[in-house]
Amino acid sequence: MNVKYYFKLVAIMMIFWILLSGRFEVKFLIYGTFTSLIAGYICMPLLMLKSADGKNEYFALGFSIFRLAVYCLWIFWQLITSNFALAKVIVSPELAIDPQVIRFKVNMDNPMALTVLANSITLTPGTVTMNVTDDGVYEIHALTDDAAEGIRAGDMQRHVARLFGQDENFIMIDDEKGAAV
Amino acid sequence: MIAIREIIAVIMIVIGLLFLVISAVGMLRLPDFYSRLHASGNSETLGMMLTLLGFVIYEGANLISFKLIFIFMFVFIGNPIGTHILSKAAYKTGEPVWTNKNNEENKEGGSN
Repeated sequence: MNVKYYFKLVAIMMIFWILLSGRFEVKFLIYGTFTSLIAGYICMPLLMLKSADGKNEYFALGFSIFRLAVYCLWIFWQLITSNFALAKVIVSPELAIDPQVIRFKVNMDNPMALTVLANSITLTPGTVTMNVTDDGVYEIHALTDDAAEGIRAGDMQRHVARLFGQDENFIMIDDEKGAAV
Repeated sequence: MIAIREIIAVIMIVIGLLFLVISAVGMLRLPDFYSRLHASGNSETLGMMLTLLGFVIYEGANLISFKLIFIFMFVFIGNPIGTHILSKAAYKTGEPVWTNKNNEENKEGGSN
């Protein structure tokens, strides 16, 4: 077991304990420390994730807090702008939508990075992840042309790869535009 | 001083509710299952965010605000997972994707 990862997990649990209990007496802090140590010890094996080919092993929370903060700010901004765009499309009288399925393949093998990428794409209005395969092929349903262009430009892929320190390259697998499944 | 904070909080909550209403409108207007997922899953996120932000501003900086931010974080992580599972289930069972192209073909062929 990696000691550095273990203490990172314990620290996160400890902060969580303090925020939820809201008590700062010594008794409760000692309870919290012991609970975090034991719960962390039990949870550690669950948080070590193997890549799809089984060669590498990654810790699920193995990213720096600073990079996470940068990523969160970026995704918030993305969320707000594209949500306004989507709301405008929905209430406009002509309903200018162009639903389409687009595919791309990433080279990342950290399972947590793949999960975060799928989650971020779904979180951003206008795009929903339909399917992810083990070798990193994403199938995205985009509601408008603008949303599809955002995926093709690849900002999201690059930001997630940077967050986890993974390979930033990705390939668009562009079949016929808007082809049915 | 308190009145100004309350006014800001109310404005936030009202804008949040507006987004929730827009997501309900999208649910009725959009053509197929996948497009409706966009409306239900996504517009809700900002509606939820603004509503909770309104509550946080109303409460001020104390432990209740922290807990509200935690609720928001879990919605943030959980909401996309639900949307993804629904779309994946539809995809695996072969739900057709509505596009502008096959919609026009349907109109010409007269079959719906």
